[in-house]
Amino acid sequence: MKILTQVLITAIMATVMAFTATAVATGAVEPSPSKRITICLLPKKKGLPYFTTCSKGAQQAADELGDVELIYDGPTDGSPEKAASMVDRWALRGVDVIAVSPNDPEVLGQAMKKAREKGIRVITWDADAAPATREFMVNQATAREIGHALVDAMAKDLGSDQPEGKVAIITATLTAANQNEWIKYMKERLEKYPKLTLIATKPSNEDQRLAFQIAQDLMKAHPDLKGIFGISSVAFPGAAEAVKQAGNSGKVLVTGLATPNDMKAYVKDGTVKSVVLWNTVDLGYLTVHAAHALATGTLKPGQTSFTAGRLGERKIEGDQILLGQILVFTKDNIDQFDF
Amino acid sequence: MTTRLRTLATNRLLLLGGLLAIVFLGVSVAHPGYASAQNIRDLLVQCAPVVIIGCAMTLVILTGEIDVSVGSMMGLLAAGIGILSSPERLGLPAGVVVAAVVAGGILLGGVNGMLVVAGRVPSIIVTLGMMTVLRGVTEILMGGEWITDLPASVRYLGTGEPLGLPLSIWTAMAAVVATVVVARKTPLGLHIYATGGNSTAAAMARVHVGVVRVTVFAIAGLMTAVATLVSVPQQSVIESGIGVGFELLVITAVVVGGTSISGGYGGVAGTVLAALLLANIRPALLYLDLGDRATFWERAIQGAFILAAVLSDRCRWFRRADGKAVTITTGGSP
Repeated sequence: MKILTQVLITAIMATVMAFTATAVATGAVEPSPSKRITICLLPKKKGLPYFTTCSKGAQQAADELGDVELIYDGPTDGSPEKAASMVDRWALRGVDVIAVSPNDPEVLGQAMKKAREKGIRVITWDADAAPATREFMVNQATAREIGHALVDAMAKDLGSDQPEGKVAIITATLTAANQNEWIKYMKERLEKYPKLTLIATKPSNEDQRLAFQIAQDLMKAHPDLKGIFGISSVAFPGAAEAVKQAGNSGKVLVTGLATPNDMKAYVKDGTVKSVVLWNTVDLGYLTVHAAHALATGTLKPGQTSFTAGRLGERKIEGDQILLGQILVFTKDNIDQFDF
Repeated sequence: MTTRLRTLATNRLLLLGGLLAIVFLGVSVAHPGYASAQNIRDLLVQCAPVVIIGCAMTLVILTGEIDVSVGSMMGLLAAGIGILSSPERLGLPAGVVVAAVVAGGILLGGVNGMLVVAGRVPSIIVTLGMMTVLRGVTEILMGGEWITDLPASVRYLGTGEPLGLPLSIWTAMAAVVATVVVARKTPLGLHIYATGGNSTAAAMARVHVGVVRVTVFAIAGLMTAVATLVSVPQQSVIESGIGVGFELLVITAVVVGGTSISGGYGGVAGTVLAALLLANIRPALLYLDLGDRATFWERAIQGAFILAAVLSDRCRWFRRADGKAVTITTGGSP
């Protein structure tokens, strides 16, 4: 009896699998009458609000272009191995363009290289991999722009052309490459505001509680502290909460990088005046336009710009397609964004 | 002979108390703001979860075991607080959330203990596995998103100040008193010391060493739940990384506090003093304004404390082996 059941289950499973395989195969060889372009958009982690909003913009672009079949898919746990196997599968299907936001450039780089060998166009977006593994990168912002935008936002929030006072940075870890790059350009920009002095750069080890404690200590040790930059995802709300609980809202300003939804409460109560990020909807939109232009031959290496629908002319520096528009969310505009 | 042991214990407490006073007074002289009521309050709030879990960890280590899963447990229970209480998720009332989190903590700790006792697996292995499993479960539950809309009733647990003191400080004081009473005045306390001192001898003296072990792990789960409840809602965001590395902070406090890593010897008073001392390192470096490089020293100093504590623990063992010092005197049944 037991064996019979097992055989039966195996048979059923085999049938189901065969059906699925046929379905997939049919999908792959189905001739597209109007030569539709299949673009696959791979996020680091599916289900994150950040990437979900990117996919909304991507769908807008696909609808506008009309001849694009957009596939938005990625691992729900952010596993680079699963992401790589998705790239492999798409490569086997023979899609036109794969746009990857690699969570691990090493792991995904292999799959991307293989896909390119099969003649598939590969680009990166949101995060980059080794230049040999892709043709272009759709870059939301350079480290320079991010660093400058953060300092400019703080200067503006402090409310004069020559703002003065002490400011401090709470970063992720002292070895975080992204953050260190931003800090370098923040220091460069601070020279424009000679009366702003950076008194400390402290690591929070991606720990909200530690960021909270450091912000508390900074305020007590420097009672004349004017501003705190929280430049990692949990350092920002941690620092804001410390300022709020100390009753310093409006007296010590906090700014940093985060999605508007996560900081909305602090922006509403005045602890945070500006939240810095790029428009994630536009990032997805630009990526699909770039992929489309690459597949149709209107985008070639060496170009210095290309036209991307409603975004108009976008700059290309080397192999970097720049979104080049950092957003600052304030009390006045934060409700217009939902991501 | 017990007097010798007692002197050693007193010495450790004196040493820690002295160091704490030197650090605190020293920094206060350099920067008067350090001795402000606000700073003392912040330091105590910061210590509270370390002390609460540290009480239970002292009992675990006294039994000769270790629990490295408390940080991940904190993360999972924090996710539980968020999912149960957030109006966008389950939106349950604060009372139900507290009961569920406490029950969850006891259950998780109990599972740790059962695996150690019934599975006959060393506790470092069991809890190391648990540490990874619980963090994984937390990530699945949180789905990569943050919970930012904790209701005011839950935020009160972390920010409320009944009778002028933060709830976490009250809780930490209660935890210390309860643990001292359990350790000193109850049969369980005696059995914990006996099991850690020499579990074979304890078993022969009809101590149920298995029951003792499961109990201390369950207490660790309970205390982790309590610490999570009074510390996590102090922050506005619940994310999947809460509690990462917290177990090291707690174990450091226990070991630096003079509890022998091989069990049977030590106590809660040392853990509390060590937690206070360790909590002073980072703010002291920040107040002294030694520049950005000073930040690198924090971990090095913490590590030095652990090494010094473990080495002094070893020295004590050598003395015992020499026969000059003492044999454990608490092994008898009550």
